[in-house]
Parts: sequence; C-alpha cells; structure tokens
Amino acid sequence: MTTIAATPSLSPARSKGLWMSQTLAMSKRSVLAMVRQPALVIPSLIFPLFFAALGSSSFGRAVRLPNFPKVDNFLDFALAGTIVQGVLFGSVTGGAALATDIEQGFFDRLLTTPTSRVSILVGRLAGAAIFGAFQALFFMVVLLPFGVSIKAGVAGAIVIVLCGGLTAMAIGGFTAAMALKTGSSEAVQGSFPLLFIALFFSSAFFPRQTMQGAYRRIADINPVSHLVEGARGLVTDGFTAGHVAAALLVPAAIGVFSIALAVRTLYSRLAAR
Amino acid sequence: MNTKQPGPTDRSSDGGSSTAPIIAKGLVRHFGSVKAVDGVDLEVHEGEIFGFLGPNGAGKSTVIRMLTTLLKPTAGSAQVAGFDVVTHANDVRRRIGVALQDAAIDPLMTGNELLHLQAVLYGLPVSQVRARADELLERVGLVGAADRRVGTYSGGMRRRLDLALSLIHQPTVLFLDEPTTGLDPMSRIALWEEVRRLNQEGTTVLLTTQYLEEADQLADRVAIIDHGKIVKEGTPTALKASVGAPTLLISVAAAQALTARDVLAKFGELRTTSEGSLGVGLEGGAGAVTDVIRALDDAGVKVQHLELNEPSLDDVFAESTGYRLEGAASTGMTDAAGPAPARKRGRRK
Repeated sequence: MTTIAATPSLSPARSKGLWMSQTLAMSKRSVLAMVRQPALVIPSLIFPLFFAALGSSSFGRAVRLPNFPKVDNFLDFALAGTIVQGVLFGSVTGGAALATDIEQGFFDRLLTTPTSRVSILVGRLAGAAIFGAFQALFFMVVLLPFGVSIKAGVAGAIVIVLCGGLTAMAIGGFTAAMALKTGSSEAVQGSFPLLFIALFFSSAFFPRQTMQGAYRRIADINPVSHLVEGARGLVTDGFTAGHVAAALLVPAAIGVFSIALAVRTLYSRLAAR
Repeated sequence: MNTKQPGPTDRSSDGGSSTAPIIAKGLVRHFGSVKAVDGVDLEVHEGEIFGFLGPNGAGKSTVIRMLTTLLKPTAGSAQVAGFDVVTHANDVRRRIGVALQDAAIDPLMTGNELLHLQAVLYGLPVSQVRARADELLERVGLVGAADRRVGTYSGGMRRRLDLALSLIHQPTVLFLDEPTTGLDPMSRIALWEEVRRLNQEGTTVLLTTQYLEEADQLADRVAIIDHGKIVKEGTPTALKASVGAPTLLISVAAAQALTARDVLAKFGELRTTSEGSLGVGLEGGAGAVTDVIRALDDAGVKVQHLELNEPSLDDVFAESTGYRLEGAASTGMTDAAGPAPARKRGRRK
C-alpha cells in the first residue's frame, strides 16, 4: 500500500556532510532573523557608538593620565571596548531568539525532525558569530573617519573581525544555555544588566593600569577585560603574536566553556522531556 | 470497552499487530501530580485515518507528543512506523510527518525558505529540494505566496504550509494535531480534502480534533479521550449506532399519514416530530431505509420528503463522558451550525 520510501539511515560520511548543511541552514535562519528584525539589531550597533562618542568627548584627555597606555587618541583605545560591548548586546538578542523558539514551539518543530540536536544549537551560535564579526567590521569602518587607526593594519583588522565572531559565539554560548535552561526570552533579556555590570567592571572603558583597589582586582579577573585587551593591543600597539593570540584564544577558551555548558543544558532539557 | 468494532477487528486479524504503523500500549504521562495521559492503548492500521477526539486538556496532544518523540512516556510503550518511540526515536522521526497545533511557524521566514530548511533537516538530497518544495507548494495551493513571509499568511495558509512542511520527506505516517482549530469553514473543508487525498495515496493519518464533525467526516475510526483515558473507540458509524437507532423522517400527504404511520411502525419505534412529518427510529440501522421505502411504495404511500438523521458523535460523546463536547469547545463550529452534510450523507465507505 505505502510505496513511498522514508528517509533512510545514512552512512557516516554522508551524515557528516548532512550535519554541516543542517548547521549551515540553521545559522542562515538565525542571520535572516536578525536582518529581518532591524529593530532588534540596531540598538546593538548604535549604543556602543554612542558610548564611544561620549567617551571620546568626555575622556579624550584621559589618555594623558599617568599609567594610561600609550595611544594616539581615546577612540583608538575605545574601539575594542565598543566592539565587545556591541557583541555582548547582540548575544542577548541571539539567546532571546532561541528562547522565543522554545516558547513558541518552533524548537519542538525542529525536534520532530531527525536533525542533529547539536546542530540546532551550533547553527544558532554560528549565526551569532557571523553577526559578531559583522559588528566588529561595522564599528571599525564607522569609527575610521573619526580618527581611529589600527596599528596592526589590515591583517590586524581581520583578526579583530575574527575576534568579534569568536566573542559572539562565546557569549552566545552563555545566553543560549540560559535560554535552554529557562525557555523564557524574558529571562534571557533579564541578563542584560548582568552583562552591563560585567562590562563596567572590566577594562572595556578604562585601562586596568589606572584602576585601584577592589575595582582593579575585579577587572583583573574579569574575562571581559581579557576579551577586550587582545583586540585593543592590535589597534593601539600593532600586529604581535601576543596580541593575536590574546584576541583569538581568550574568546575561544571562553567559548569552549560556554558552548560545553550550552550543550549540557540542551541535553538535560531533552532528557527532562 | 466497546464491543461494536466491525472494521478494525477484521483488519488487525489479517494485518497482524506488529505491522500496524501506530501501536501504543499502556501509555502514561504524568506532569508532576497531574496524570495527563493515564493508560492509553491504541492501534492505528495502515492506510487509516484515525481521529482522536476530546476536549481541551483531555490528553490528546500529550499522546501525540509522545508518539512523535517529543515527550517520553512515564510508563508504557509505543511503536510508530515499526520503531520504538523512545529507543529508536530518530528512526521514528525519519518516517513520520508532524504538524503540531502549538508549534509556531517562524513568521520571519517565507514559505519557500521554510520548506528548504525542512528539506535540509530531513536530509533530502540538495538536487531534489527545489522540485519537492515546488511540488508541495503547488499541492497546498501556496505557489503565489511562496516568497512572502509567513507573518503575512492567513490562518488557513499557515495550516496548509504546515501540512506541506510535514510532507517534505514523504512520510508514511502523518500526525496532525488539531489541524483545523480556528479555521473558517472553507479553509477547514479544503484541509479535509487534502488530508483525504493524502490518505488515498497511502499515508496513515492520526489526527486530533475537538470538532465532532471533523472526526465524523475524516476518520475511519475514532477514539474518544477524556481525562487521559480512551473512553470509546470504533468507526463513527458503529459508535453512533451504539448510542441508538438513526431517525428516518418522511413527509407524506395528509390523507396518507395514517397508512404511512402503520408501515413505519413495523421498522421501529415511532418518534414524535414537528410540522407534520413522521419519524421512526430505525432498528435495522440506516441500511433499513430501502426496505422502508419499498414497504411504503407497496402500501401506495407517496413520499414527498425523506430525511435520515443519524445519532451524532456528540451523542456518543455525551454518553461516554457525561457531558457534551460542543459546549466545551465553543469555537463557532457545531454539528448543527457547521456545513453539516454529515447528517444526511452516508459515510464515504
């Protein structure tokens, strides 16, 4: 009676290729969602610029403070912080989108398909990475006419773009884990102030060298400081192995941790069904 | 439970229970202290449309979610398309199509994009994706809207897209969770036709509904679920017959009324009717209509109007559960108000 063949089981090689195409399709979807909801995305592009403008007009002369790292102007110093700030905000949007999928049942729709569960998550994070890389490029291009110069040149700019992508993925891992844990977009959006605190208690706006006491100690151990400083070194100092390593390895290391956390949360969510 | 099950019992004896596309044994699902599903046994046969009828909160969706691998049973087991839903979930997923009422379609994507995504998720070869998507869009009548975002679709269009999405990989078993809830009558009928067509092509369909008429129109067999348990199961005809005899109404010229009354009385209990027509509860079921006509003809009675009213599934439901479904599910669609050819027209098989 029923002559139609259902999708058969796949060979390992084919299933690996399939995993890639599924992950790609999922990341395409999350990028599309951002492109088609500019209202959700634009704040993460505008507010960091606003902070950069505010910083450079208010604290422009702070660069002459004793202990302030040697920079040509405040914007050079601020660029990396601007990028990380934008990426943090953007990651909240990505995590909230995943939570919305859960709330509205699109996640269930995906789960009824034989697609790899991890590709649902990785697709989402890859989409976040693409947007993060775009943000990094966007901030560099927009601030260039205002006097930003990247000492590490084009190669350094490329590393900064990669750093933006990796950072988005790393922070996206945390917001995705939160989305998977709570299934609530409001809860994910509620993490926004937390990210703000993490940002302010870091060297995103001011160098650690000018900080004192407890504030300094917090900034020292705050991963956000280290996220910012790799890219900052490329802008203010030049293309050195140390700066490249810091710009890429710090977000990569955080990413390994956060993505592992997100995968674990995903599986415990699936197991709890 | 229900002794009148002519169709299914016959079929399972030749098919064998191991080949039935959907088998559930003692399915139980608790949410905390709430027993959403409390021991459901189910066997859906190949090529069948099986209707799961019940009010909101009866446990319909929870059963579907277990059968489609979205939820794990607290106890019991289920096999779908020959595979266990817990231990071989992915094998099940490859073979079933699922359209869930509460699983939203991403409003930001176009119909075409969603079909392509779905095709990739089911692992269709890239070379086939386009043709398959076009074929399905054609099938559900969404070619013109294919490149519009789903957010701009009407409710009926979304359901049709949902159906197309669930068919991308040519599943052998299709699960439709309340496929027409909230749709206008026209869209509902269009969807019914599509489901029938799929079924005729060989797809086994399990659908849940809170509409009696939908179950009556579409389903070969119906299970009535209430408080997490199946309280009645069988073909709509058998279920309705179990409640009581269908009523035959005739109108005759006033002069022949007495003769007609005498003839009708031989076929069952006379029933009071309004407006001068005569009514009889046909003890021999709807099949006795031809005998009645013949007898009336022999007696020289000229029938001016004839109407056969079967007991509705609502009567069955009321008898099984103690309350009427239509009151609970007042979404504007009732047996009486809907486009109700079900009353007079015979079942399609």
